[in-house]
Amino acid sequence: MVQLILCGRGGQGIVFLTRLLGEIATQKGLDVISSETHGMAVRGGSINSHLKIGPFSSPLVRTGHADYLLSMDESETSNNEHFLRNGGVVFENSLLPSEHDVFRVDAGGLARSIGRIQLENVVLLGFAASLADLGVSFDDIEDKLAIEKRETVRRNNLMALKAGSKVATELKALIN
Amino acid sequence: MNHSRVESYPITRFLMGNEAIARGVIEAGCSVATAYPGTPSSEVMESLSRWKTELAHKIYLEWSINEKVAFEVAYGASLSGKRAAVVMKMVGLNVASDPFLSAAYLGVRGGLVVIVADDPGPHSSQTEQDSRFFAWFAKVPVYDPGSPAEALTMTLKAFELSEKYHLPVMLRPCLRVCHARQNVTFSLPTEPVDVGAFEKNWTGWAATPKFRLVLHGELNQKIEHVSLMEPDAVPHLVAGTLKSRLAIITSGSVSSHVIDIVTSNPEMSDLSVFKVSLPYPLNRNNVQEIVNCNDRTLIVEETYPVIELQLSDRTNVIGRLSGHVPQEGELVPEIVDRIIRQFIGAKSSSELEPKLKARRPSLCAGCPHRPTFFMIKRLFDEAVYTGDIGCYTLGVNLSAVDTCLCMGASIGMACGFAKANGETDKRSRIVATIGDSTFFHAGVPALINAVHTGANFVLVLLDNNITAMTGGQPTPATGFTADGSVAVPVNLERLVSGCGVDFLEVVDPYDYDSLEDALTRARTYSVDQGAGVSVVIARRPCIRTVKLDPQALKFEVGANCDRCMTCVRDLECPAISFVKKDKIVKIDVEQCTGCGFCVKVCPEQAISARRA
Repeated sequence: MVQLILCGRGGQGIVFLTRLLGEIATQKGLDVISSETHGMAVRGGSINSHLKIGPFSSPLVRTGHADYLLSMDESETSNNEHFLRNGGVVFENSLLPSEHDVFRVDAGGLARSIGRIQLENVVLLGFAASLADLGVSFDDIEDKLAIEKRETVRRNNLMALKAGSKVATELKALIN
Repeated sequence: MNHSRVESYPITRFLMGNEAIARGVIEAGCSVATAYPGTPSSEVMESLSRWKTELAHKIYLEWSINEKVAFEVAYGASLSGKRAAVVMKMVGLNVASDPFLSAAYLGVRGGLVVIVADDPGPHSSQTEQDSRFFAWFAKVPVYDPGSPAEALTMTLKAFELSEKYHLPVMLRPCLRVCHARQNVTFSLPTEPVDVGAFEKNWTGWAATPKFRLVLHGELNQKIEHVSLMEPDAVPHLVAGTLKSRLAIITSGSVSSHVIDIVTSNPEMSDLSVFKVSLPYPLNRNNVQEIVNCNDRTLIVEETYPVIELQLSDRTNVIGRLSGHVPQEGELVPEIVDRIIRQFIGAKSSSELEPKLKARRPSLCAGCPHRPTFFMIKRLFDEAVYTGDIGCYTLGVNLSAVDTCLCMGASIGMACGFAKANGETDKRSRIVATIGDSTFFHAGVPALINAVHTGANFVLVLLDNNITAMTGGQPTPATGFTADGSVAVPVNLERLVSGCGVDFLEVVDPYDYDSLEDALTRARTYSVDQGAGVSVVIARRPCIRTVKLDPQALKFEVGANCDRCMTCVRDLECPAISFVKKDKIVKIDVEQCTGCGFCVKVCPEQAISARRA
């Protein structure tokens, strides 16, 4: 059982990530339920998604119950940290260095170097999935992104995923 | 939904509640579905269109001009013998209430399901009204799904119930069902249902008041039958045991929070949780029996006390009426947990709050409404700005929207403001703003009324050629409808002229000088000369529908900026911000769309195009 919160600003690809993880879990035959933000809040406002893999009925994660927080925007992290349980971990798109229980990656910068800032969500996902069990594995995510038919989209997504994973590997080496 | 391999039924996919409902509509053999967009309901019609394409299905789909018309189109289809669905958000039902209540009396032929999405919170709406209460008011049975998977099942059941009792049936999903996603299993659609051609019978379908009395009696009997005969009107045990002396009765989206909380907490293992699919009309005897068998019963439902009020003896009942459940606001899991803990006398768990306030929404960078609001504010300094429903309600951020009541009210209210204080009073200076879709929806009768009564105000039609707030649905001015098929575009200028308006200007809001000129002349016409309503159409496509040119100019703030904050405060563009640390005004290249309006706004002429 895994409970996730994904947060950021409208337009940062939070809904894409939520759906991607949910679709993979569904294809693996797991029970999964999520909740998204739509409507006025999406106009540049704060948005978050809840994703729960396991035998849950409610699509909402209770405060103090999330295992992980994936934050696309460091200013949104503090809006959502209260969802984390004791020992819960943050994965954040940020220029700052990582610290205890807050793992950071410059997803925006890496996405720009690939050529599209819009890929920052996939960079963060690659980073997080390499460091933690999000309920679906890094390989599952890679397989899912690899079946995309549009050549450029597929290539970009896979590059972004790997860019995130590479930073995670370096970080792991540093910690060990 | 690209699936290369051929799939065999049943299929499981990760579906949004609204997609699951749409799947249910198609699976039920429905022939006509209509809707007006509104959060959280909009994706039902969008998904219907996708299912239609994926299945090469023949269902007729339309985005109607408003919910009343949408209801009437679906009702006509039902009387002609086919199954029909109409989809809206809860405030849309206010607009459609006239045909909704009348249809309950007349009854239906092909199954008619009224899908009304509620928005407790409210997250994206004017009210927190409970559509189940509206169903009760209309004497129409209502299904209350708790999850996307259940929403699909209940959609199918709703069509069956509707045809069985010749009644419209409501499906009331809340936001947490509409915008939840879940692994949902579904089957092959059935063939479109046909109950046979319309048979003329004026005492039934065109009943005069005398016959309406008879129909009311029949309606009461139908509702009585549903409550006594239908298993879905009886609450079922969904968690806990019958051994306990404490019960919870729940329904709909909040039932899912209740189930998760009760099943994950050992302190609550003795509670018995009952859930009802049809919260109206309840099998009252059965529910009363649950209450009578327990020492105390807690009712947890979203958002009004519909189940609670149907209980004749509430002595041992705890809920909204007893003050134990909050009277307003969404019943999120944290609140449900607190209510249940109080109910069983357990210690309350510590409640965690966000450390920061959430960021407020704002018109997009490059939104064509922003220049229009800026210019209205600049030219009509002491005016009252009556606003309307859509993205452009966010004109409040530019202090260019003073009122927001309901769809179309900007024009009706402008008339009232203009008439209340006499023509010469400063308080009679009014500028109304309304979007194109909202104008078609409910603004047209109000404009005719204003022209007819000689009201003096300026009406600015914010025409972005789309229903933007809800995700970009077509309007009657668009050349296509819900499933992309060809539609006849209705010309906005001809419509405005047809309402009797003599002053009509069309401008591009990005063009500072033309915008200033058109609004100045409108001011002269309506405010200075008192010659009646003037209409300015500020026309430019929604920035979200435009493919941005990667070569477009970007802008930057030069050294001669004196930090007067005109651009930051009065234009409120998300791409422009004041960096406190460095005490400079900065334009974010990622967000800037290159509209260039800020260049003319800057009093110091400090903003200019960046060198590449």
